[in-house]
Amino acid sequence: MFDVIVIGGGHAGAEAARVCARGGARVALLTMLRDAIGRMSCNPAIGGLAKGNLVKEIDALGGLMGEVTDRAGIQFKVLNRSKGPAVQGPRAQCDRDLYASAVQQILADEPNITIIEDSATSLVHDGKSVSGVILKDGTRLDAPVVIVTTGTFLRALMHSGEVKTVGGRFGEPAAETLSDSLRDLGLKLGRLKTGTPPRVDRTTVDFSKLEEAPGDAKPRPFSIVTDALPLPQVLCHLTYTSAVAHELIRANLNRAPMYSGQIHATGPRYCPSIEDKVVRFAEKERHQVFVEPEGLTHPWLYLNGISTSLPPDVQDAVVRSLPGFENAVIARYGYAVEYDFVNPEQLDPTLQVRGVDGLFLAGQINGTSGYEEAAAQGLLAGINALQKIRGSDPVILRRDQAYAAVMIDDLVTQGTEEPYRMFTSRAEHRLLLGCDSVYERLSPVAERLGILDDERKQRVEQRIARMQRARDAAETSVTPDRETLAWLNVALNEKSSIARLMQRAGFDLAQFTDACENVLPEVAEAFRALSEEESDGVVSQLRYAGYIDRQQREAARQADEEGMQIPADMSYGLPGLSREMVEKLSFVRPVSLGQASRIPGVTPAAISIVRMHLRRGGNRLGDALSS
Amino acid sequence: MASELDTIVAPATPLGRGALAIVRIDGPRSADILEKLSAVSPDARLATLAQLSLDGEPLDECIAIRYAAPHSFTGNDLVELTLHGSPLLVERVIAAIVECGARLAEPGEFTERAVLNGKLDLVQAESIADLINSRTALQARLSLGNLQGVLSRRAAAVRESLLHVISRLEAALDFSEEGYEFITRDDARREIEHAIADVEALAETYRRGRATTSGLTAVILGRPNAGKSTLLNRLVGSDRAIVTPIPGTTRDIVRETIEIGGLPVTIADTAGLRTSGDVVEEIGVARAREAAASADIILYLVDASAGLTVEDELASYPDAIVIYTKTDLALAPQGALGISVKAENGIDELLNRLDAIVRDEFAAAAGSLVNERQRQAVLGGKEALATALVALDAGLDEPVILVDLYRASTSLGLLTGAITQEHVFAEIFSKFCIGK
Ligand SMILES: Cc1cc2nc3c(=O)[nH]c(=O)nc-3n(C[C@H](O)[C@H](O)[C@H](O)COP(=O)(O)OP(=O)(O)OC[C@H]3O[C@@H](n4cnc5c(N)ncnc54)[C@H](O)[C@@H]3O)c2cc1C
Ligand SMILES: Nc1nc2c(ncn2[C@@H]2O[C@H](COP(=O)(O)OP(=O)(O)OP(=O)(O)O)[C@@H](O)[C@H]2O)c(=O)[nH]1
Ligand SMILES: [Mg+2]
Repeated sequence: MFDVIVIGGGHAGAEAARVCARGGARVALLTMLRDAIGRMSCNPAIGGLAKGNLVKEIDALGGLMGEVTDRAGIQFKVLNRSKGPAVQGPRAQCDRDLYASAVQQILADEPNITIIEDSATSLVHDGKSVSGVILKDGTRLDAPVVIVTTGTFLRALMHSGEVKTVGGRFGEPAAETLSDSLRDLGLKLGRLKTGTPPRVDRTTVDFSKLEEAPGDAKPRPFSIVTDALPLPQVLCHLTYTSAVAHELIRANLNRAPMYSGQIHATGPRYCPSIEDKVVRFAEKERHQVFVEPEGLTHPWLYLNGISTSLPPDVQDAVVRSLPGFENAVIARYGYAVEYDFVNPEQLDPTLQVRGVDGLFLAGQINGTSGYEEAAAQGLLAGINALQKIRGSDPVILRRDQAYAAVMIDDLVTQGTEEPYRMFTSRAEHRLLLGCDSVYERLSPVAERLGILDDERKQRVEQRIARMQRARDAAETSVTPDRETLAWLNVALNEKSSIARLMQRAGFDLAQFTDACENVLPEVAEAFRALSEEESDGVVSQLRYAGYIDRQQREAARQADEEGMQIPADMSYGLPGLSREMVEKLSFVRPVSLGQASRIPGVTPAAISIVRMHLRRGGNRLGDALSS
Repeated sequence: MASELDTIVAPATPLGRGALAIVRIDGPRSADILEKLSAVSPDARLATLAQLSLDGEPLDECIAIRYAAPHSFTGNDLVELTLHGSPLLVERVIAAIVECGARLAEPGEFTERAVLNGKLDLVQAESIADLINSRTALQARLSLGNLQGVLSRRAAAVRESLLHVISRLEAALDFSEEGYEFITRDDARREIEHAIADVEALAETYRRGRATTSGLTAVILGRPNAGKSTLLNRLVGSDRAIVTPIPGTTRDIVRETIEIGGLPVTIADTAGLRTSGDVVEEIGVARAREAAASADIILYLVDASAGLTVEDELASYPDAIVIYTKTDLALAPQGALGISVKAENGIDELLNRLDAIVRDEFAAAAGSLVNERQRQAVLGGKEALATALVALDAGLDEPVILVDLYRASTSLGLLTGAITQEHVFAEIFSKFCIGK
């Protein structure tokens, strides 16, 4: 007997299973191929802009993605280094095989997880709640909670030129019938598309013709539990497409499934295929191609930038037109995959299907794209499944608390028409969501839920204390007497706190701590105790204190609306509310007035009518919204 | 999601006896209802004669026009019935339409639907009300221009330039690996400065816009017996204020509205300025000064036969138009404006002068801001843009500058709708080839 069944061993499934097990639930992880658990379907890289923040959030909540990335990472780089910590995104190139085996190892170490290698063909339900899963041979697996994380596998169809193959990922089958169960439950499904570029045999490439793309000299690990990165760091490379490639693609457009009409589903605008790029931006003379190793010793290279579903002969010619690839041999051709997804407006903010007790959905099935997006949903769906099993309050993070919360709120409130990816610009309070403050924001939530191990808990506490000590030290005042001016080496007319000095353009922390050494040893010491990442964080927190305060106040004002709970059985037949508004509100069924106000097309006038109605009833969400 | 929009009905002309009365039906069932009541289903936009009846009971003979979505005022399917103008008929027809499944519209609901369907923006919706309330041709011209989108287009131009900077700054944050330099700080600075200039120009239109929609006030000041009440009566064309030879006749302010230069001007006759010791009169004088303080135009009268005295307060009202009265008794000084109401002298000159002042200094062209809400939206935008510029010059990071740019967009958005994430993405993805 299980407490929860997780269908799918991808990035969402792994986090969901792990957190439930950590919380003491008995978990069945049901997946098609045991060896494919933790497999990276596409690019062997984790993190990046906004996505890196998601990984940090997962780490702060006790999830596994950050730790696994540190174990498998072979090139680390912080993106947007010059643009302020709020939008800095750590990224790591990984060894894909080591990544999957690290995930498998971590899951194997959880005694509460039973891995079952099989395929779920349907859900057992009575229309109102779910109670189990039927396997291929008709066997039934019972559990009061089921988390579906089937990624790109629902009725999946792969396209490579004119050839169509059933399957969710190269060499793997599709989940042909599970969509029917979801439809039975009254869920609306849509279809999306994504693609992947060709992989090339690395021994056939002339690297001397490529530009080098190195990682950071001092790589920063993702996880708070990592002291040192175990693997050697490697180079990536960069090359460019040329007019020759563009000509080839244009000449063969009629054989591209996206243009021949073979694919109808919508793909992501931010991740177009090379055929899309060439058609839509005909004037652009070249496109970047990042050449990324699939692992330390892996024989393949991943060509980041030329995702395609053109037929193999065209792919061969296009690849061979790239400088350094004149004799390249493609080891695996690029392809596109079309799959079913569930319109996420049908979920509540805990990722449970509205009206179907115990059924949670997470990952690409909800219309997202990307490992990090999937993992963050898996973790939060897992946390809420766990709370449900425990009979405890749901955990709904606020938009000013985590990118993961922004994503989930966007999904369940607005739905999505293209594969949803995280961007920093989706977060209206992005100054509050930098990686520097992630442990302060989220670890206490995980600790309260009992899903943070002791090691992590201790490291988090120490980090928070260290950074606080530095912030306190920065409140020390310096007076503009001659002595101080001499060691400080700055222009100063009046007494000023160190924090104020940091707000000046061109403030240099290293120089400052050196100068402090003898005069203010405790200040120097407080800053010396920080890692580079931590001190960057503290300096920017002090530097932007005014802006951060303002966003916090705004967020607090909004939290009032978020706290105004709308009962699940709310009837919107209120005087003055037009039919259109009633329809939109009844479809999304927002849990709070704040969520209601973000539903596209719901007018401020409608919101005030609902607010007035709620004021009379007086519901507060209170503790259910964790803070 | 599938359940449909309500069909709503309301009279579009005031209830009362007249030659014609118009009833509007809006929503998906509007054409069905017409067919049910008249057995007629006219081609779109073709005026068609229809005999209305319900359950065999004739209601009226009318002209029906059907508009097919989205080509209607609201953007929905819509039917207009031109009935005979009897309140009783209109009531019966509406009752029959409700019987067929429509409901009575809430006040403003047709316009709301037009806004929701993107047929009108908020500024245009406001101009409809202004147009209906216009009292002069000039007011009507301003409101019609704004209804046709002149102000919206001006505001949209500012919004466009704001979207241009915001989207490029965002792209530089979210797509920094794409090999583009989306925008330099210098360019961002120039564009923000440009937007500030546009917003300032827009804010300046408010003085005229407000004057044009709400009208002007002109206050007549002067010493007792200067002939203030006489002038008011002459301008109004009736014996509105008491006129006597006794100085200090007028105590309360007497107001009357006339049209000058195409705008309604409310003229205020006031108590003569002097220190009298009389409690009532003193209060009247205080009120006169108060009215002058908020007036758009001041007419300062001096009795030509008495000349300027030490009690005159001309120095306090440097912008006043000085008018010498009673020129039948004594000449006005060289070059000064003189009138005699008694001899009907100089009145035309005075009116021409006022007409020119109103037209030159107060009449607004289409594209002006007309109410306080619009002004606050523009001023809020200006303040936020100025803050963004300061942050930029202080070398602060882009995410911080964007905070203020979004604030500007939210504030200006009260005119045209704010910039959403989707607008930013659409701009980025249409202008740049994004995607590794
Ligand atoms: C071809 C391709 C191209 C991609 N391109 C991009 C890209 O360009 N950019 C990007 O950001 N992301 C891309 N991705 C997406 C990225 O791989 C996914 O977003 C991420 O892996 C989703 O994680 P997930 O956990 O939701 O599902 P997945 O990682 O897809 O895992 C799903 C798991 O569920 C299992 N499963 C499915 N159905 C059943 C069933 N009925 N019974 C039992 N087990 C089942 C599968 O075996 C698998 O283990 C691409 C994916 C593919 C396949
Ligand atoms: N001859 C002559 N007398 C005028 C003229 N205009 C006004 N008067 C007279 O001047 C006297 C005062 O006129 P009012 O209009 O009452 O003057 P006022 O400025 O309103 O006076 P207060 O109300 O007392 O401040 C009356 O007897 C008028 O008839 C004019 O043009 N010619
Ligand atoms: Mg008088």
